[in-house]
Amino acid sequence: MGRSPRITLTPVRIVLVYAVVGASWVLLSDRVLDSLALDPAVAEKWQSVKGAVFILVTSALLLLLILRFRRERQFLSNAVRTVLDGMADAVLVVDAERRIEDANMAAARLFSASSREELLGSLENLVERTQLALPEPLLSQPAATHECSMRRLDGREIVVQVTTSTVHRPDGKSRGFVVVLRDQSETSHFEEAREEFIATAAHEFRTPLAVVKAYAQLMRKRSQGDAAALDVIARQVDRLTRILQQLLEISRFRLSSSELKREPFDLGELLSEVCAALRDRTEGRRILVSPVRAPVQGDKSRIGQVLLRLLENALRFEPNGGQVEATLVVEGDRAIVSVRDHGPGIPPDRQPYVFEPSFATFPAKLPSSGVFGIGLDMSREIVARHGGQLWFESAAGRGSTFAFSLPFSPEATA
Amino acid sequence: MKPLPRLLKASLDPGSRDVLVVEDDHDLSTLMEMIVVEAGYEVRRATNGAEGLARVAERMPGLILLDMRMPVMNGWEFARSFRSRYGRAAPIVVITAAENARGRAEEISAESFLEKPFELEDVIVTVARFLGPPRAHKTSAQI
Repeated sequence: MGRSPRITLTPVRIVLVYAVVGASWVLLSDRVLDSLALDPAVAEKWQSVKGAVFILVTSALLLLLILRFRRERQFLSNAVRTVLDGMADAVLVVDAERRIEDANMAAARLFSASSREELLGSLENLVERTQLALPEPLLSQPAATHECSMRRLDGREIVVQVTTSTVHRPDGKSRGFVVVLRDQSETSHFEEAREEFIATAAHEFRTPLAVVKAYAQLMRKRSQGDAAALDVIARQVDRLTRILQQLLEISRFRLSSSELKREPFDLGELLSEVCAALRDRTEGRRILVSPVRAPVQGDKSRIGQVLLRLLENALRFEPNGGQVEATLVVEGDRAIVSVRDHGPGIPPDRQPYVFEPSFATFPAKLPSSGVFGIGLDMSREIVARHGGQLWFESAAGRGSTFAFSLPFSPEATA
Repeated sequence: MKPLPRLLKASLDPGSRDVLVVEDDHDLSTLMEMIVVEAGYEVRRATNGAEGLARVAERMPGLILLDMRMPVMNGWEFARSFRSRYGRAAPIVVITAAENARGRAEEISAESFLEKPFELEDVIVTVARFLGPPRAHKTSAQI
């Protein structure tokens, strides 16, 4: 059984109902009195009664309408309260004078306050007590998100994601803002546990792999079984080992996210070193290098990994053993390394996925070297954490150029 | 326990050509034995550090191939006990699945390391490095 929809009461509707009822009463009651053609003295008495009844009836109507309006407002406000308190994220409602007007239950839990009321009052006070980094520009923007650490009222340090959104009045001016805080500590614990699991699993794989590979080699040596098949087994074990090595590297990198060395080194020198190491491994595949001196600061081995990744990728996608060009230029306050291949390029529909962990261009067409994901996501993260950027330009059939920039630091001596 | 006479005995026995394989994975341990025996050396096996120490107490081996992660007594504990009792009476080669095999070897001041998965040849080359070239090969029927 469907219920007929309730008519929502608005102030305009209330006035409208009042006006219609009032006007109808005035018109109808006058007509009725006129039609009765009463004695003028009696009619005057009836007029007074009519006026009193009018005031009574319309007042009762007004009261009913106002009560119903208030009930509806109350319901809406309760619904908002229930939604706020049912949320997992902490919410603070701040007025234009930067006073916390409202806070939900999650906010009390996140700040470890005894009640919601404890959080109300001056925002500055709470910011000071919790060392919550709430930068000023963030508050002036319509909506902004960032991550920062803060100290709960019980003293525990947590990492939170903070989103602030401005609340506007109908005239467009700011009425205050809403701060939404999400505790990231559990998420990062979970991520850490996952990375540790991957690292342990990758490690545990190695003993059985060692056994399989060595038995295959032993059988080959003893001329037992098909030599070609045994070579395939050994080769595939090596491939699996490389994949595990990458898995380990990625999880180790994520686990030690705060451990980036800061040492001065010359990017040009590093580029030459990595290219030279690659030339040995790729049996004369050509890499054209045009390095210049570029002193930078950072984790040399990590940047070396990024260079290796970009060069390996370029070599992988370079058809017929053609040459790969690596250049280094200094532009203003940054050093830029570009690695260019003349391979098939990345089709436009695949380009948005280049920095996804599992990205591989043309996985079906190219021989796999056992490298999954090609590590571009990790490379970009490494560069970003050095204050640089990693980007690419590519067109199907016209090759790709991957480049990254690092802040130039002339005072650093390599 | 009197470590000194044993130490002397081991150091006075330059012809000691046996390899002690301390490894908990049965298949890998069997395999190591096959490889090393085939190359012309003798092999004794232990499945954990405590057993390894017992084998050493029976007779000092010429070389110890040591796994690190083992039940009962792991490679670190074995190495510590071995060094405190016998010093460097026998070289230790770490067999490890860790990414940083060199680091593992340095942790226990091992003489060398083998990274899992290893090449068959690497095992023989490593053993030969510490025990000298293998003697005349045994017949394949013995292997």
